[in-house]
Amino acid sequence: MLEIKNLHVAVDGKEILKGIDLTVEAGKVHAIMGPNGSGKSTLSYVLAGRDGYEVTEGSVVYKGRDLLAMNVDERAAAGVFLAFQYPIEIPGVTTMTFLRTALNAQRKARGEDELDAPRFLKLVREKSKPLNVTDDMLKRALNVGFSGGEKKRAEILQMALLEPSLAILDETDSGLDIDALKVVAEGVNTLRSPERAMVVITHYQRLLDYIVPDVIHVLSKGRIVRTGGKELAGELERTGYAEFAA
Amino acid sequence: MAAVRETVETVDQVASDKYKYGFSTDIESERAPIGLSEDTIRFISAKKEEPDWMLEWRLEAYRRWLTMEEPTWAKVSYPPIDFQNAYYYSAPKQSAKLNSLDEVDPKLLETYKKLGIPLVEQQLLAGVAVDAVFDSVSVVTTFKTKLAEAGVIFCPFSEAVREHPELVKKYLGSVVPTSDNYYATLNSAVFSDGSFVYIPPGVRCPMELSTYFRINEKQTGQFERTLIIADKGSYVSYLEGCTAPQRDENQLHAAVVELVAMDDAEIKYSTVQNWFPGDENGKGGIYNFVTKRGDCRGARSKISWTQVETGSAVTWKYPSCILRGDDSRGEFYSIAISNNYQQVDSGTKMIHLGRNTSSRIISKGIAAGRSSNTYRGLVSVHKKAENVRNFTQCDSLLIGPRCSAHTVPYIESKNPTAILEHEATTSKISEEQLFYCRQRGVPEEEAVALIVNGFCRDVLQQLPMEFAVEAQKLVGISLEGSVG
Amino acid sequence: MTDAARNFIETYERERAALPGAGLAWLGARRAEALKAFAEAGLPHRRLEDWRYTDLSRALGGATLSPAPLPDGAVVLPDAAKRASVAAFHDIDRHVIVFVNGRLRSDLSGTKLPAGVTLMSLGNALNSTWARPLVETKVEAQAGNVIALNTALMRDGIGLHIARGAKLDTPLHLLFLANDDGASHVRNLVRLEEGAEATIFETHLDAGARNYFVDHVTDVSLGKGAALTHVKIQDEAADAIHLASLTAELAASSKLSSFSLTLGAKLSRSQSFVTFRGEGAEAHVNGATALSGTQHGDHFCIVDHAVPNCSSRTLFKTVLDNASTGVFQGKVIVRPDAQKTDGRQMTNALLLSRDAAMNAKPELEIYADDVQCAHGSTIGELNREAIFYLRSRGIDEPTARQLLISAFLDDAFETVPHEAARDDLRKLAASWFERHREKTA
Repeated sequence: MLEIKNLHVAVDGKEILKGIDLTVEAGKVHAIMGPNGSGKSTLSYVLAGRDGYEVTEGSVVYKGRDLLAMNVDERAAAGVFLAFQYPIEIPGVTTMTFLRTALNAQRKARGEDELDAPRFLKLVREKSKPLNVTDDMLKRALNVGFSGGEKKRAEILQMALLEPSLAILDETDSGLDIDALKVVAEGVNTLRSPERAMVVITHYQRLLDYIVPDVIHVLSKGRIVRTGGKELAGELERTGYAEFAA
Repeated sequence: MAAVRETVETVDQVASDKYKYGFSTDIESERAPIGLSEDTIRFISAKKEEPDWMLEWRLEAYRRWLTMEEPTWAKVSYPPIDFQNAYYYSAPKQSAKLNSLDEVDPKLLETYKKLGIPLVEQQLLAGVAVDAVFDSVSVVTTFKTKLAEAGVIFCPFSEAVREHPELVKKYLGSVVPTSDNYYATLNSAVFSDGSFVYIPPGVRCPMELSTYFRINEKQTGQFERTLIIADKGSYVSYLEGCTAPQRDENQLHAAVVELVAMDDAEIKYSTVQNWFPGDENGKGGIYNFVTKRGDCRGARSKISWTQVETGSAVTWKYPSCILRGDDSRGEFYSIAISNNYQQVDSGTKMIHLGRNTSSRIISKGIAAGRSSNTYRGLVSVHKKAENVRNFTQCDSLLIGPRCSAHTVPYIESKNPTAILEHEATTSKISEEQLFYCRQRGVPEEEAVALIVNGFCRDVLQQLPMEFAVEAQKLVGISLEGSVG
Repeated sequence: MTDAARNFIETYERERAALPGAGLAWLGARRAEALKAFAEAGLPHRRLEDWRYTDLSRALGGATLSPAPLPDGAVVLPDAAKRASVAAFHDIDRHVIVFVNGRLRSDLSGTKLPAGVTLMSLGNALNSTWARPLVETKVEAQAGNVIALNTALMRDGIGLHIARGAKLDTPLHLLFLANDDGASHVRNLVRLEEGAEATIFETHLDAGARNYFVDHVTDVSLGKGAALTHVKIQDEAADAIHLASLTAELAASSKLSSFSLTLGAKLSRSQSFVTFRGEGAEAHVNGATALSGTQHGDHFCIVDHAVPNCSSRTLFKTVLDNASTGVFQGKVIVRPDAQKTDGRQMTNALLLSRDAAMNAKPELEIYADDVQCAHGSTIGELNREAIFYLRSRGIDEPTARQLLISAFLDDAFETVPHEAARDDLRKLAASWFERHREKTA
């Protein structure tokens, strides 16, 4: 699904990622853990194609295509989804309008028919319910005045609706209390499937109690310094990142 | 483009040739000779078969206009207009008729398609000769019966002058006097046609009235005059659409709109203005110098202006409300989009004269390219106006580093019981917002349109449904090429 | 041309040889040029956009415009019990410099200043190399720019120069007293070199004069990282006309904090022109106004973001009683490429009486996209529900009103960084109510 080779990325001329190798297969959930400033968010942004992240070396192949050659919305239409650590507010654009615009833009890019209003509405209702996203939230402007939990649930709703092949979750647990975390994690877990790969980026082990990964990587100073099974999380919880920071 | 221009030029040629023979002996000619003089005005008046009082009214305006100077206070700049090098009357019959859509500029058709305008209407808007049923006047005729049953008068202005002189005499110039300003005075002298609406007491106009199709009268459309009177307790919603781009070089459009609302009456006036804005390099486009004013003459009356301004090279327009009647209310909802080299100086005036009058101003300016976008507004509270309330919100959105946005509010209060609130903000579309939308698969231009429509939501909500859909699409089209 | 304008031109012709710096060729040319600009434009009137609410030309029609004489004999200060502004800043350790009729009366050599701080008369300042750019850079061709009048006629003032890294130890307090009727044209020049710091207080009030015209200009130039705090109190006589302009040029990372309290004069116009010349600079231009009778007070403020990454804040609060008129005209300009500008402007006015009037024109002129600019304006009366609430708690109406008015003005006082000065301003506002209450009672 995703094959990252020797990826070097610079921001404002400063190298942040210093040679990442990472292969994620369909159906797997990979967690990337690491201290602040290790390059976790940089990795998620460069995969999504944000401006200002300069790839100086290396390659990223996604479903056999050169991901780095695609622009942001092409990547999205090809199934790359980034759940933002800080979802962006878009005043005046209702969540519902946004969802329909995004879904239909992706369908159009893939050469599929746009969904008509009744079919779309039915779909949104169906996906919203388990995430506890109310009609009121759907009518409000996207992320404007949403609580931390509402924002994260709206992110997962978008993911559920857009059905990506590769979902990257950037610090999805940040700013959530335990109840909200459970709702979000459950939403993510129902989306696990043999066709879908996930990359879960987190600072804390807490999230991984609820979204249990197949593989855990530890990122430090722009490099993956350790890879292991889910038990690695527990180890990190005990020892902290100190040994990797050296 | 070339085909159209050629045809227009041919027509111009024919008309000029006719001028050689002198218009006085050739009163049947379809076009007044070039330039402006008392004779031109007499010619227009004669063409319209107007009574003497109307001619005198025009001449008086013309004489006054000669003594006036073009205003320079607006934040717009354009080369001097040669008022003697323009035609002030040209009958619609003479518009360049094309035989099929194949002859129309494909760029123009592309715009229509994006707007979702049906094919027959595309033909109509493009100036292609189609069945006369689609002529704007005829469209009106089909509804005439229904309107007549309700007692509503909705007719071309020239017809009103002939058929309802008492109403025209009573109200014409009573809101925008002939001496009001340079362009309004010019309009008073040379206005060609326009709409007249009268809603009798207690009548709720059974349908929305619209001048949407009147664009067909392209060559007489530059100086229209609209007069709407809502008598006691009546209601009317009026739509004005100028969705057809013009094709000529910088053309002057100086319209006057007067609204009168009597006791308990309400007028809702919506405009979607998309005159030709000039090309990407700022060449061509309409000079849109329009005077629109409503008089809330009666108690508890209400006038609401909603405008979506996307076209014109230069816009100079301040739809205003005189809140004369006690408890009357004025509203101004505006979206003004400028791209490339467009210049917009638009806003409103809310003149509070009566007690308990209230007003609300929501203005959304979007500047892109190298355009300049100015909100200019006045809220004025007179000494005897007790308990006035005003709320004004002016937001500007800038797209790109070469455009400019200005906010010039005048807030004047002479009564302590008034509460006036004004807020203005300026911002840009953030990189984060664009990235977020695109990460969800929305292409960049569509993302810009989406975010801008969100920014304009408070105003778009004021438009009648079918207009709102069109306006939303127009927002996207107007900003094409503004990013990336 | 009006008599008033002609009067000024005649004064110039008559006295130019005796004006400070008369021997300097550049200054002579500068004065002549400024006079020409003034003569062409005349005194500003309401047909000029920047003066649409204040007719200076007309107001000066009835004023005594011959130069105020050199004071002789003792100047009797007003009773501090009746005029609290006399005592303003008194409890603050400071250097006091006194002007009478716009003429410097203090012996500057007697002021003990820290190393690197130089205080001199305008005449001496004009001979210094640092002062020339301050007087020279002003473009006066603009219609209605009254600074030209001051440049032509400036008669006295001080020059304050603070060397790189030096600090004025305690505030410099400039006390301007009007003892005789007539016109005065004061020019103060302030240059703070890199990293220098200073606080300046100004008090303007009458001490015997009634019908007079104050034409006051302060030019400020801040070097990199320099910081100036300026607090001004204007409490002129009831028939006086007070015209003051502050121009400030801010280099990178410098900081200007300016506050002006307007209480006096028949007609006053206080202008601020702040221009950012270097990135990372910060300007606070604030003020409070309380007027009664038929007073007219105009604040005019232009903040010009000519370079990126600067921030500006403007807050003006106006309280108007009786038949007084308040004006606020403000403009934030963001020049092309002045990205990351953060410019905010707020003006609030309270009308306390049926005959009071307020005119506000807060403008934004933006030529760059990546900016955060906003302005707001409110005009209204005291919140009736709040008065009712306070009264229901046993507070009598005048006290309730005073409480609310104080709270209204306090937002503006809060912006003054000098704590003791802030307290003095509050006391002054309180005394205004007292004075005012007696008058209206």
